[in-house]
Amino acid sequence: MLLNINNLKAQVEEKSILKGINLQVNPGEVHAIMGPNGSGKSTLSSVLAGREEYEVTEGQVEYDNEDLLEMDAEERARKGVFLAFQYPVEIPGVSNKLFMQTAVNAVREARGQPALDMFDFEQLAAEKMKKLEMSPVMLERSVNVGFSGGEKKRNDIFQMAMLEPKLCIMDETDSGLDIDALRIVAEGVNALRAPDRSFLIVTHYQRLLDYIKPDHVHVLYNGQIIKSGGFELAQELEEKGYDHLIQAYQEA
Amino acid sequence: MTTLSKPIKKHSPVAQSAMNFYQQQAETLMASESDSALVAFRQQASQHFAEQGFPTRRDEDWKYTPLNAFLQTHYQRSGVAQVSEADIKSFLPPFEVMHLVFVDGYFSERFSDDLSVLPAGLSIESVKDALDFEQGYTAFLSHEMGIEKEAFGTLNSMLFDDGVVIQLEPHCVVERPILCTYVQTQNEHANTVRNRVTLAHGAQLTLVQQHVSLNEKLNAFDNVVTEINVAENAQLNQVVLQSLNPLAMYFGLQFVDQAKNSVFRTHYIGLGASISRHQNVLRMADEHIESEQSSACFANGQQIMDTRTHTEHQAWWGTSRQLHKLVLDDEAVGVFNGMIKVARAAQKTDGQMDNKNLLLSNKAKVDSKPQLEIYADDVKCSHGSASGQISDEQIFYLRARGINADDARRLVTQAFLLEPLESISSMPMRHWLAEKLMHKLNA
Repeated sequence: MLLNINNLKAQVEEKSILKGINLQVNPGEVHAIMGPNGSGKSTLSSVLAGREEYEVTEGQVEYDNEDLLEMDAEERARKGVFLAFQYPVEIPGVSNKLFMQTAVNAVREARGQPALDMFDFEQLAAEKMKKLEMSPVMLERSVNVGFSGGEKKRNDIFQMAMLEPKLCIMDETDSGLDIDALRIVAEGVNALRAPDRSFLIVTHYQRLLDYIKPDHVHVLYNGQIIKSGGFELAQELEEKGYDHLIQAYQEA
Repeated sequence: MTTLSKPIKKHSPVAQSAMNFYQQQAETLMASESDSALVAFRQQASQHFAEQGFPTRRDEDWKYTPLNAFLQTHYQRSGVAQVSEADIKSFLPPFEVMHLVFVDGYFSERFSDDLSVLPAGLSIESVKDALDFEQGYTAFLSHEMGIEKEAFGTLNSMLFDDGVVIQLEPHCVVERPILCTYVQTQNEHANTVRNRVTLAHGAQLTLVQQHVSLNEKLNAFDNVVTEINVAENAQLNQVVLQSLNPLAMYFGLQFVDQAKNSVFRTHYIGLGASISRHQNVLRMADEHIESEQSSACFANGQQIMDTRTHTEHQAWWGTSRQLHKLVLDDEAVGVFNGMIKVARAAQKTDGQMDNKNLLLSNKAKVDSKPQLEIYADDVKCSHGSASGQISDEQIFYLRARGINADDARRLVTQAFLLEPLESISSMPMRHWLAEKLMHKLNA
């Protein structure tokens, strides 16, 4: 098992948000976490990625046989956890090239691999960009500065390709994207699917899932997973909305 | 007829004692000089200085740049320099330059490149030689442009007795940059330097001036006035690198007069000194003039760094660009003051001035005052100022990619500080300056 979340409870500013999450992810699996606004979706991504403003009050998260909650954000990234941001951040003056070379080498060092020099790095970056149909010019530009919404998300996918993570958490990565940008993101994810790479796709809408076709779908409501199923659960939500599930859950 | 006398300014005992000291120094200097025009020039300055004195915190332009630490020490003019060839070599950049060395403010023939074999059209002379051979060497450009408003300018007029005179004949294009290294070697020494740079029409030059200290223990004082004349179609690229030790004092004033179609670019890199103040006064007197004034400064400890510009657009189609960045750590104080004046006759002026400051500590302070004064009606001018701390979101983004928190902060800070260097076209120059900035940031 790659990820084992057991009775995870978390709060922010003393407000309880996650109220006992249980979730198991095996290598190579694609899981979707769906839920209405305020259900705790983004909090779950943030806690897993190591944002410090969230406080875990109970439960355990085991990642690759280690205690994930004991690691800080950079350590998690080096061990293969990747967060694709809902809003990728702009960093003026830092080129994508310098950013990614620093990150790739930090990750390689943690894995006991030698650092890539500029030449090897550029070669690797060129390969990955070609696969993602990205323009090499992006490497020279400042991180996300002046990028459209779609370009920013694509840049995150590129970073994912470069860092070769084991667990990719997509935090509402589809928000604010038009249908073309959505397809590009989905194609990027599909291109990176591998037997030793798992995905946790957090989303409000089903449309991204149409392209990705997750193995498992979970519905999050009020800080708990209230229903799990296969891809057909996402389709059911698309037709009937969240309300009937919530109602059924509350009556039970 | 009655004369209106100015109210007499009251000086603190410490300031008064420093004033007396520097006036005495000027008296001694004048007694050794035979050029009557020069002596008259100094006398006038000295008289003005007696009325003006040193600025206090009540002077608007000095409110955030207190001189207390400067006034404690009386900086001498004479002494014996001690510096080796190897010391001088260590200050050289990794690219080819014509090297002029000034030790404690005095031109050093021994350490400088041979001036008898210069490219055609270029002449270089020390001010000391100019004073000896030319009758009436006095500097008028700075006079027209208001040097007497600046106490350290007045002090410079009273006390300078060396510097460099660089002249380029029409269409003389000098490929190799001229590097002036001003090295401090003596404690409590005043290095009062007056430079004059004249580019005739169509001439081109890159001039680098670096201020360095021989070691970390010295407390010495650099006072530099540089007068620059850029004639029609001429182009001057200038870099001033102030990397004195943290005890030093630096006051630099530049007066720049530009003619039609000329280009002047200047970059100031501020790293050292306890109190430093670098100031440009630019007169863009004719049509189609282009100028750039940018700066990148990093202050920490209790350093006070003051950068200011005064830019006058006086004719049509002038373009001026400014980007000033300041990073402040610990209890450092930063000051930026910029003024763009657009005369009624300066239509179609395009002037932009930006000041951005990054505070790495809660105890660091910055005061920024960008100003526009516009009398023409068809212009495009803007000014902006922003000060803030590193964004937590940026740091988290980098950490989420495996970069540790310290490296993430360094990456963001470096990127912020190095931006003004991007307009320097010479890559070796840009790398050299970036390395200096990064060396201090990463120390």
